[in-house]
Formats: sequence, C-alpha cells, structure tokens
Amino acid sequence: MSKWPKICPSGDRGILVEFENRIDPEVNRSVRSLALTIESENLPGINEILPAYRTLLVAYDPLKIEYRPLVEKINFWIKKAKTIDLPPGRIFRLPTVYGGAHGPDLKMVAETTHLSQAEVIRVFSETRFMVYFIGFICGLAYLGGLPEILRVPRLATPRTLVPGGSVGLAGGQANAITTDQPSGFNYIGRTFVNLYDPLLFPPVPFLSGDEIQFMPVTEEEALRAQGKQAVDFL
Amino acid sequence: MRAFEVLNPGVFTTIQDLGRPGYMKYGIPASGIADRFSGQVANLLVGNPPGAALLEVTLFRLELLALNDLVIAVTGGNLSPTVNRDPLPMWQALPIQKGDRVAFRARKKGFRAYLTVQGGFSGQEFLGSRSVFVRGLMGTPLQAGNILEFEDPEGKSIPQGNFPQEMIPSFSILNPLRVILGPQEERFSPKGIETFLTSEYRVSSQSDRMGYRLEGLAIEHLQGADIISEPISRGAIQVPGDGLPIILLWDAQVSGGYVKIANVITADLDRLAQIMPGQSLRFQSATLEEAHLAWRMEILRFERIKRAIEGHG
Repeated sequence: MSKWPKICPSGDRGILVEFENRIDPEVNRSVRSLALTIESENLPGINEILPAYRTLLVAYDPLKIEYRPLVEKINFWIKKAKTIDLPPGRIFRLPTVYGGAHGPDLKMVAETTHLSQAEVIRVFSETRFMVYFIGFICGLAYLGGLPEILRVPRLATPRTLVPGGSVGLAGGQANAITTDQPSGFNYIGRTFVNLYDPLLFPPVPFLSGDEIQFMPVTEEEALRAQGKQAVDFL
Repeated sequence: MRAFEVLNPGVFTTIQDLGRPGYMKYGIPASGIADRFSGQVANLLVGNPPGAALLEVTLFRLELLALNDLVIAVTGGNLSPTVNRDPLPMWQALPIQKGDRVAFRARKKGFRAYLTVQGGFSGQEFLGSRSVFVRGLMGTPLQAGNILEFEDPEGKSIPQGNFPQEMIPSFSILNPLRVILGPQEERFSPKGIETFLTSEYRVSSQSDRMGYRLEGLAIEHLQGADIISEPISRGAIQVPGDGLPIILLWDAQVSGGYVKIANVITADLDRLAQIMPGQSLRFQSATLEEAHLAWRMEILRFERIKRAIEGHG
C-alpha cells in the first residue's frame, strides 16, 4: 500500500494532508479534487482550506470539531474526491513586454541557457503555464510547466525591489509577482495587467488549474493593459 | 466622527480588528490583533463588540490629540500611557475630553498596547476587515497628521462591571512557549530537536508582525532545509538552511518552502505577541490534547472576564 496520502497535525488548529512528494499535474489534481470536496461539504468547524502543490491545509476550530473525528472525515473525503470531476481551467493570455528595462535578466538567462534572447522569449511565451495554487503573499500564483531548457538558478543576491507584474523564472519555476517586492527570480519581462487588487473580491484573478500564457507584445501595447483586469484577457 | 489627530505616529501603530480569516487560498494571511486577549478586553471595557477596530501600539512615542470627548481604554503591554502627562490608568474605561493628549512614553512591560475608543475606530475595510496589512497594500501604519475617525457610539453607556485586576496578564517571559512538533520534525536530527527544545533563543531586531527571527544555536537538519512549498499555519516555526528558527505570525506569507520543526500552540500566541526583540524565549513540547485543553481554558477565562465586565460577574 502506498504511504500517501499522509495526514498529520500542523499546529493545534491545522491538519496537513500530503500527497506524493513531487510537483506533478496529477498529484495536484488530487489536491484540488479534495479541496473541492471539502468545500462542498461545508462542515461547521472547518474554517478554511489552502490547497498547495501536493499538500492541503485544513484549518479547523478545535472547540467545534475534534482532531480524530475530523481525520476520519478527511479520509472519507479523500476516497470521495477520486470520483469527482474538476471543472476545466481557463486560459489567460497576458500581454507581456520582454527584455530591456522591463526584463533586466533576459540577457543573463540567454547566456546561461545558451539560447538567443529571441529564443528565450519564444520558448517562454509559447509555454502554457499551469497555476498549481495561489499562495505566498498577495495572491502569488505558483506556476508549473517551465520547459527544462529554461532551467536557470536563482540570483546569487536577491533584488531588494522588483516591480509588480514582473515575469520571471528560477530553479525550474516561473512566476509573475503581483506587487512590488524583493525577489531572487530572474525577471525577463513585465505585464501591466492587474494581478492583485485588495479592494476586489476575489482579490486575485486566477484559480488553481487555470493556465497562463505571457504573450510577447510591444511596450506600447503592454502599457495599454495597465489597470485592466486579467479576465479581460481570457 | 473625528476621534484623534496623530501628533506622533510612534514606532509602529496600526488599526487592527480580528482580521480576515478565510482568504489563505488567495494568498492573504488573516492578520488582526496580535495579543487577542488584551485587544478584545479593551473593547469590552468600553462596551464595544470584542472585535471592534482599535489601535495596536508598538513600543512608544505615539502621541494623540483628542478631537472630541471620548471614552477610551488601554490594555496590553505597559508602555507608560499618559493623559496630559498624568499616568493613564490601564485596563479600565476612561472618559477623556476634547483637547486631551494621550501619549505612550516608555516600555515597562510587554511590547504591544491596545487603545480603543467607544464606538470603535473607522477605517477602510479590505475583504471585510480593517486590519492594516502593509505588505498586502491594505492600509498603512499611522502617520503624523492623520485624523482617526470613529463610529458614533450614540449614547452607549459604559459597562457597569470591572475588570478583575488579578486577571491582568503578567507578560512573563519566563515560561516556555508550548509547541506541537511537526509537520517535518523527521527532517531534523535528534540532536537538532534537542537543541530546539533545550536552548534559549533571542528575538532578533529583524522581527515584525510577519514573523520573529530567532538567534541562538543552529538546529541540525538531516537532509537540507527545502521542501516543495506548502501551506503555513499561524505560529509555524520554519528552519531555513542556516539552522536559525523563524516563527511565522499574523501577517506572514501563507505558503513557504522551508521545513517546519514545530508550531506554537494557539493559547501561547498572545504571550508571544508581548515578547519584544532582544528578549529571549524557550520552547517546550506539548501534545495536541494539551494544546486544545489550554485553548479551551483561554476561552473560558475570556468568557468569565466578559461577564465580570458586563456586570454579571
């Protein structure tokens, strides 16, 4: 029998459900199916859930439901989740300006990967990245699907401030940061589409299972997307 | 209605309420009052709902000018609050007048004080909460010249009961913080776990509402510090490659890729909120049952105090 999934406490108000220990679309489907199942159950005492790459956190109120009965329920839901269909993801095509001031690391990524800058842009922008989950801070989408050929390490010294909308890659991962923040990723372009708005609900346009493509456009065209919502680019 | 003008914003003062739980899956931490016991008691003392928006005052130098007659209460750490230079009695409702100056002058005990006003502070709501979360672009700390508004209490009376003085928390830093080990305790050597549970850690100056960085003996990993990024619970203690633990708190990221050795129990988070950079702390392992019992006791204590303040004691 497989040792996965595994269930264990994460503090005194959280339960962590772990699936196979790898970043993989199928493993992530199990996580998302379980998330959908738990949400549709609406059990009092479950405060919220956070599905991630291969794990799912169930935050609960120990005064309303005890640990052991909840673990039993989760085990039941894991079985039930195998039978449900996930809704299809959407594809967002975000206008992105590559290189120059908006992509300060494009040159270095080209050198590291022994590709031309145009090749880096072509390979990156033809990739349909899958949103594995939303997390970190301010609705960061964890993206999967970066081609092996674009594997580059993180910066030795992280930048203290990278502007929101910057599109980058490092260590086999890609992201588009939602707000200005420090980062060790290699940024090769920038989208001006609104990726995070604390006054909107939901504050983040993407859901896990969605796909994002960073379409190469001129700076002028990229800037025209300023202030627009991501749903305008479905 | 106008409550105060900010004459001096102090070291770090923010509006907080009970936060915005429920948005982790959008990458947004719950934030909210750090020492929830002190904050909620402040609100009860002036007849507010326990989760009304109040000021979380860190350390000292905050100075406010009252722009109306107000009923306020100050609880939490003792930061030497004054009204017009006279000591301001804490843990009780206190009427003040237009033109009075409230200031916080020096830290005596604890780290964070709570100032509430009858009616509760107004302020921009983000996702149903007024809690300031700077990194999430949800409000900013107080700045000099800000005018703080409050909701009209409309002739609300002050609760008749008293806060039992013997219930004022001591904010002692002597007792260890209780933790539930895991979820990755197997990624540490037995020696690493022992280091964590027996040595003393100093809270670094690089600590804020996101997390407390600790300085002390490095904790030994077995096979590196990295994991595939996963969800983070409030109070989680992650140990990056340098072996020095970081406790992730109210405004922390909701997911991260470092192994977590343990998680501070909910009942001890208020006490942690009152430990300041430079002070030391220790950890002690607890079972899940002990943690849940401790939390139930906290809730009972709060209910008892609520009845006492409302005069049904």
